This record gives sequence, structure tokens and C-alpha cells, in this order.
Amino acid sequence: MKPHRRKRLGIILFIAAGLSVSVGLILYAMSQNIDLFYTPTQVAEGEAEVGQRIRIGGMVKEGSYESAEDSLQVRFETTDYVNSVPIYFEGILPDLFREGQGIVAEGTVDAEGIFQASRVLAKHDENYMSQEVKAALDAAGATPENHQLSPQPES
Amino acid sequence: MWLWFSKLGSPKWFYELSGKWLPWLIATMILFLVIGATWALLYVPQDYQQGLTNRIMYVHVPVASLSLSFFPLMAVAGTITLVWKMKLADMVVKVAAPLGAWFTALALASGSIWGVDTWGTWWIWDGRLTSLLLQLFLLLGIISLRSALEDSDAAARACALLSIVGCINVVVIKYSVDWWNTLHQPGTTFGMSSDQPNGPEFWIPLLIMGIAVALFFTVSLILATRNEILERERRSQWVQELVQE
Repeated sequence: MKPHRRKRLGIILFIAAGLSVSVGLILYAMSQNIDLFYTPTQVAEGEAEVGQRIRIGGMVKEGSYESAEDSLQVRFETTDYVNSVPIYFEGILPDLFREGQGIVAEGTVDAEGIFQASRVLAKHDENYMSQEVKAALDAAGATPENHQLSPQPES
Repeated sequence: MWLWFSKLGSPKWFYELSGKWLPWLIATMILFLVIGATWALLYVPQDYQQGLTNRIMYVHVPVASLSLSFFPLMAVAGTITLVWKMKLADMVVKVAAPLGAWFTALALASGSIWGVDTWGTWWIWDGRLTSLLLQLFLLLGIISLRSALEDSDAAARACALLSIVGCINVVVIKYSVDWWNTLHQPGTTFGMSSDQPNGPEFWIPLLIMGIAVALFFTVSLILATRNEILERERRSQWVQELVQE
């Protein structure tokens, strides 16, 4: 390779490396803000201010779902299997909403620590299988653990 | 090796060679597309949660993964443009940008349709969706940058540099679902037997569709590059002869 070409390649690599490092540092610094939602533990520990609009993400706690008979009001608890936060919502839930599945709710925490949701979204996990496989796995007691939300190995 | 490298940079040589490959590539692409689409849309078992909706995966996943390959491709071609000033490399950078924008837009659109049925929303500003939207804007930026600069050498240099810079975003898109909590699912790992989640009955058709879309990407890129060669080399003798035939 000719010297002037080698020099030019060096400059390009230097720019690319410098930019990667700076973008990496920016993203690291902002990582709290890029997270889409608070976990139930973060809300239970009071990280979200009362009245502030936030999103909360967790699993719908088994056996916690209650709905009013004459309106669209529902109440359920969302949990990360450490802490749970009760959620009130009035409206139509997505088709994939069910106990034991992940959800993300938008709204505010009120003074009693109840989350007043204005919108509930369903989160689906990365496991796809047919009814038969699911049934066979359940029978064998080997359903893959859906209990983790997004993988957060370090926390 | 260097001889081969400089030969590859010759537009005429590439034009002739790609002309021989194209029919084979197109035939294989159609074969894979027909098998893959039929299998995916008619025979894949229904998912235990999503039912039929997860069949959007067979369009969304190949298109979205391929859309991530544009910036690395343009960055390699851009580096060659900057260092060796190879004409063909700059043509690839130029034609890849609009193609990449289409792939990215299609990935966003198919993802939205999937999202409205499963999540209950068309759009959310989570890490994955936002970073992919940024890629679309970067590509649109590269396209307009080239048309804004009148000096074609300056335009080639600017676009090459922006392509290299844009590669960082690809890493962010790829790992967004692991680094932050998002509404988008994290990456799926394939199950090796059919009694596991994500078994072969799900991923073999996905693989076939992936190859089909990759071939479509290759064919589109070659066709667009050939077009660009004719345009830029229109004054050269071999193109004149080709037109007269």
C-alpha cells in the first residue's frame, strides 16, 4: 500500500474509533433515560415521583386481575417477582394481555402508590411455539422461564 | 490479490461478470421466495400466544436484519472510495443508500403492523424502534447530501464518511434490546429440536425467507449498480458499443 493511502486509511480508522468511543460514552451516560419503562421495584422504591407521567413494565401477577361487571375498569398487579405495583385502568386491553405475561403501562403513580394507567400495551417474549409444544412442555414442567423481563444481567 | 482487487474496481469487468450471474441469482431467488413464502404463510404452526399474527415474522425479520447490512456495506465501499478512489465503490455507496432506505422503511412498516396486533400500538419510542428510525433518517440524509453537493468528488467523500459514521448506529440497533428495556422483544435463539420453543418448524422457513430476501437484496444492488455504471460511463467506448448493439 502506498504511504499516502496508508495515511488516509489511518485517519479514517482514527475518526471511526473516536466516534464509536464518544457515542458509547453518551449512550452509557443516558442509559437511564433510554429505558422505556420503570420496573415495579423501581416504582415501589419511590424512584418515580408522584404525579409524574411514566411507563411501568412488568408481568401481570397471576390471580390479580379483576374487572368491573358494568364498565371497562380493570385492576391488576404488575410484578417483577420482587415487588408488585397495583394498576388501575379503564379501557380496552390488548389481545395478548393475560396473567403471567409482560405488559407496559403508561400513566402516573398516585399518592397511595397505585398506578393510574392511561394506556396498557402487551409485551411478548422471544419464545415462539405451537400449542402442542407448549402443552408438552407444561406437562413436563419445563416451560422456559418467562419470568425475566428484558435481560438485565448486571442489575 | 492486488491485481484481482484492481480488476474488481473496473466497471466494465463488473458489468460483464454480473451480467452472467444475474439470471442464476434471479432464478434462485424466485425458487427460495416461492418455497419460503408458501411454507411460512400456509404451513407454519400457530404460535401459542399470537396465533397467526407471528407469521409477519417471515417478512419482518429477514427485511429488518438485511436493513442492518447496508451501513457496513456502504462503509466498506466508502473506505475503498476514500483510500483507493475506486469508481465502482462510490457507485455502490450511491445506489445502496436508497435501497437501504426502502429496506429500513419496510422493516419499520412491517414491524408496526405486527405491533398494532400484539402490543396494541403502531409505534413506541423504545430503543429498538427509535434507533431504526434514526437509520432511515441517516440514509435519507446521505441521499440528500449527494444531491446537494455539485462537485461529485466532494459528494463521494462526504457520503463515504457519513456511511462509516452511520455504522455505529447499527451496533446500537442490534444491541438496543439487550442494553435497555424495550417493548420490542429481545433476540430469539433457535431451538434445535421440535419439542423446544422456536424449534425447526419455525426457523427453517425463516431461514429460507432470509436467503430469498438476501438474494433480492443482492439482485437489486447489482441491477442498480449496473444502471449507475451505464450512466457514469456513458462516454466510454464499451458503453457506446453496447448501446449500438
